[in-house]
Amino acid sequence: MKASADYMTPFIKNRPEWGFVGGRISALEEKLLPREFFPSIIEMHHTEDIFQHFQGTLIEDYLDPGIPWDDFSAVADECFYDLALSLREDCPSPVPADLFLIKNDYLNIKSALSGMEGTPFTPGTVSAEKIDSVFSGEYADLPPAFRDRITGAAIDLGELDESLSDIFVDGAYLRHLLLIAEGIDSPLIHGCVRNRVLGHAISSMWRVIRQGRDLKQVVDYLLPMGDENPLIMEMAAAQDPSSWPEMVGGEIGNQLSRALQMPFDEQVSTFELKVENLVVHMASYARLETSGPERVFAFLAALEAEMQNLKLVVTGKINRLDDDVLAQRLRYVYG
Amino acid sequence: MSPEWIEIGRGLCYAGAGLAFGLAGAGSACGIAIAAHAGAGVMREKPELFGRMLIMIALPGTQGFYGFIAAILIMTQTGLIGGGPLKISLGSGLALFFIGLGDGIAQLVSAIKQGEASAAGIALIARRPESAGRAILFPAFVETYAVVALLATILFIIFLTQPSVLQSVTG
Repeated sequence: MKASADYMTPFIKNRPEWGFVGGRISALEEKLLPREFFPSIIEMHHTEDIFQHFQGTLIEDYLDPGIPWDDFSAVADECFYDLALSLREDCPSPVPADLFLIKNDYLNIKSALSGMEGTPFTPGTVSAEKIDSVFSGEYADLPPAFRDRITGAAIDLGELDESLSDIFVDGAYLRHLLLIAEGIDSPLIHGCVRNRVLGHAISSMWRVIRQGRDLKQVVDYLLPMGDENPLIMEMAAAQDPSSWPEMVGGEIGNQLSRALQMPFDEQVSTFELKVENLVVHMASYARLETSGPERVFAFLAALEAEMQNLKLVVTGKINRLDDDVLAQRLRYVYG
Repeated sequence: MSPEWIEIGRGLCYAGAGLAFGLAGAGSACGIAIAAHAGAGVMREKPELFGRMLIMIALPGTQGFYGFIAAILIMTQTGLIGGGPLKISLGSGLALFFIGLGDGIAQLVSAIKQGEASAAGIALIARRPESAGRAILFPAFVETYAVVALLATILFIIFLTQPSVLQSVTG
């Protein structure tokens, strides 16, 4: 893959050592849900009817007829994590799978820092025992992106309020993503991760401003963020999201600009949705490749989007959310 | 023509034969491995596609046989197999060496590329098993040039080893 300034121009660069996992993904891709599937299940009135439509899909094996629908989110997460872990074992490098697996680890860390026991999210690369050590203030077994920042800046997480603590964990998660992505030679994956990191950092900062806090004081907990440091500090100094699209530029800047045109309450969530859609769309170019790490990354990005959509529709139906709202929140899928 | 030149000519000719089957065999092994990786991955999820995968995986193996045919033809036409060894001038030996080398390179590259085309076809079959007939066409196009290379090699060997060009050592 060849990176241009803002977008990717893909060409086929096969890597035979990724052939096995590439072949496996080709077979699994047939089971990804088509785009038109989600609007059709939104129109259904009974959750039992939705169940019928899961036959032949990747989640089918995880759904028992007697399973309570309230547990659907956990089932969807289990399906995603099982498949991601299984693909990770078949890959010559764990990088593409780890980029998705660490998400739950940081959610578990957030949960532990807020005082909740156990691991509410399926652990990815950090075991439940290591997460438990957070309760006793031990961070030595946690990923370096988290641990090193605490020791380097002598931060006492126990003294931070939950909002600042969340920002700190978000920063560690984004640093960890960048660190993992450096471990593989793939401009497409680097481009996707860079967009995801930048998008996540922007939405975190935007939410801080919405809370009425001084972004300049908070941004230190998010940083460092590698090459994005100057940009993030410039945005924090501006404190005004309407000036951000020009600073950011490129595709993320365009998405930010579009999100700012939405009603005030929908701006941040629309931006997050658009960034995720952009990443999946970029990753979908990997379908032109027969074997390579990009195939794994693209498939997991598509599967993650698919599971998010399923969780949205099923929980939305249970909570009787409006069909139009659900349709607007659907993520881009390439199945 | 001195006897040393005759020996060099014959040595070059057999080196060409060795390169023809050596490079072609190596190419086929690489091509089959590329296709087999993808095929094994597909069968992990869909074991029922074994039959269709097998054809796609076996396709890059033909180049090894083409190289073998070229090598055997060089050896029979020059008398190493099935006859008395013939006098081979330096010029004829060089020509046969480069024919063997050219054939070997063509088979090597086409086998590897056919393996990649087969792997792409395997990916298509995995997603749409009903497309197996069309998927086999893509690696078959690569095969065309392996066949053309073999035909050219056969014609060159036959014309270069006519009795008017080569003479019997005993005659």
